[in-house]
Amino acid sequence: MKQISVFVENRPGSLMEVTSRLTEAEVNIRAVASFDTPEFGILRMVVDDPQKAKQELTRLGFVVRIYEVMGVELQDEKGNLNHMLSILADGQINVNYIYSFVIREQKAPVMVFSTDDMEKAKEILTKAGVKIVTDEEL
Amino acid sequence: MITDDRWTERIRDPKAECMSRDERAALQGEKLRDLVKRVYGVVPFYTEKMKALGLEPGDIKGIEDIGKLPFTTKEDLRENYPFGFLAVPNEKIARVQGTSGTTGKLTVMAYTQKDVDVWGECVARCLTMAGLTAEDRIHVCYGYGLFTGGMGLDFGAQKLGAMAIPMSAGNTKRQLMCMEDFGATAFACTPSYAMHLAEAMAEAGVVDHMKIKAGVCGAEPWTVEMRKKIEEIMKINCFDIYGLCEITGPGVAMDCIHHEGLHVHADHFYPEVLDVSTHEPVGEGETGELVFTTLSKEAVPLIRYRTKDLTSINYETCKCGRTTPRISKFKGRTDDMKVIRGVNVFPTQVETALLGIGEVIPHYLLIIDRENNMDVLTVMVEVDEKFFSDEIRKLDALRNKIGSVLREALGLSVRVKLVEPKTIERSEGKAKRVIDNRNLV
Ligand SMILES: [Zn+2]
Repeated sequence: MKQISVFVENRPGSLMEVTSRLTEAEVNIRAVASFDTPEFGILRMVVDDPQKAKQELTRLGFVVRIYEVMGVELQDEKGNLNHMLSILADGQINVNYIYSFVIREQKAPVMVFSTDDMEKAKEILTKAGVKIVTDEEL
Repeated sequence: MITDDRWTERIRDPKAECMSRDERAALQGEKLRDLVKRVYGVVPFYTEKMKALGLEPGDIKGIEDIGKLPFTTKEDLRENYPFGFLAVPNEKIARVQGTSGTTGKLTVMAYTQKDVDVWGECVARCLTMAGLTAEDRIHVCYGYGLFTGGMGLDFGAQKLGAMAIPMSAGNTKRQLMCMEDFGATAFACTPSYAMHLAEAMAEAGVVDHMKIKAGVCGAEPWTVEMRKKIEEIMKINCFDIYGLCEITGPGVAMDCIHHEGLHVHADHFYPEVLDVSTHEPVGEGETGELVFTTLSKEAVPLIRYRTKDLTSINYETCKCGRTTPRISKFKGRTDDMKVIRGVNVFPTQVETALLGIGEVIPHYLLIIDRENNMDVLTVMVEVDEKFFSDEIRKLDALRNKIGSVLREALGLSVRVKLVEPKTIERSEGKAKRVIDNRNLV
């Protein structure tokens, strides 16, 4: 699954600037997370059209990069997040970061995480019977 | 590319380029005496300045008296635009060349035929320094016209007896085609255009079709890293040629294969390096403003012309055998210099330091503030796609690295602020490099 990362300065309205530009460009944001330091931050998003989002934001002067991340379906039951993380931990998968669920109509929520070892993560999760979500399925 | 240990040095005019320091000083003294006589009573600017200083031509006995003479600035030339500095009758003028400068107003310089000959001869010395001979074919992609670049290199090629290919700038595809078809063995252009040519050549996969062995680049500042990169891509040797229209044009100085400073043709152009505030000569190797006196020029001789370029000078005999004084690569411009906590800081230092971090120089801005009577330097650096990482710790590491590299280069602690692209204001395509808020206090 693809994620776009945008460099933002930490000042009032900087995140809104990005999201409103995407709305104007008719790009739908499926999940969003921001990570900051006192001075700057990174806004990470899963959107329905990453190429268009990148093109549009770059044109407007933002630094944007597209990264490959993993999206997995979470069963709607207690302790599901913990269960997922333990599968990854047992498989020695190092998670760089993890964020919100993508809310989909009538479907199970999706957890997004980043790892440097996509292939191995995919293998372990598949073996554990976890459903990996692709861009198309969102 | 030839390494300096396998290089065969050629010197066009060993008498002029390898004479002893005393011999050169005697020659310069004789020429300076003659120069003062040629302008006094002829060029109103110098006549009035000398009178105001109580100086007569007879007071100038040798080169050691040069410090008694008045300075000339770019503003003086502008006030006397276009021909107020002429020291010869109109019919002696063979041509004019000019420079537009960043402020828009033209500076125009006149040349007699002898001036053109001396200029061409100096460029020919430079071309020889680059290993070129009458056998060579020199592709000139400096602009031909008022600007001195194209004509200067052309005059040099003529003196050398080499073949000139007068291309002017632009249309890279055609440049590469002509270079290949005409069998060019050298080219001359700005370093940024040379870089562009190198990249285009590599991309088209034609590097090995070329006979190019040398690049003669100048007219804008460039770094050693940039030179090495061009040399590596094109498999050639590149040289740094220097000159300014006011003094003659390209060919005032150039570096040899050892790249340890630019050899000044001091039998025609007398260089001084002066303290920025006292205007007294600085010690050998110390940094100051470069000032030139044109010893041979007839049409518009200039006395102690302040270039505003900051450099240092070295009088030692070079490994190449030349005894001509060498000026270091420029360390900035006097008008860009800032004194922060007693330390001289030039934007070019920041630029060189930043170049060491990434492939390209990011946009940056120096902001100087005074907080609690202390100067504080903040460097804003625009994050671009090459620098950007998805991980906060990598961005933090980048910021810390920039901070430590700058502290090392400037000898000052620096606050680094990463900002979004295009946040740093650009005026007319040129980025502003320094904001000094201390002036407001
Ligand atoms: Zn040398």
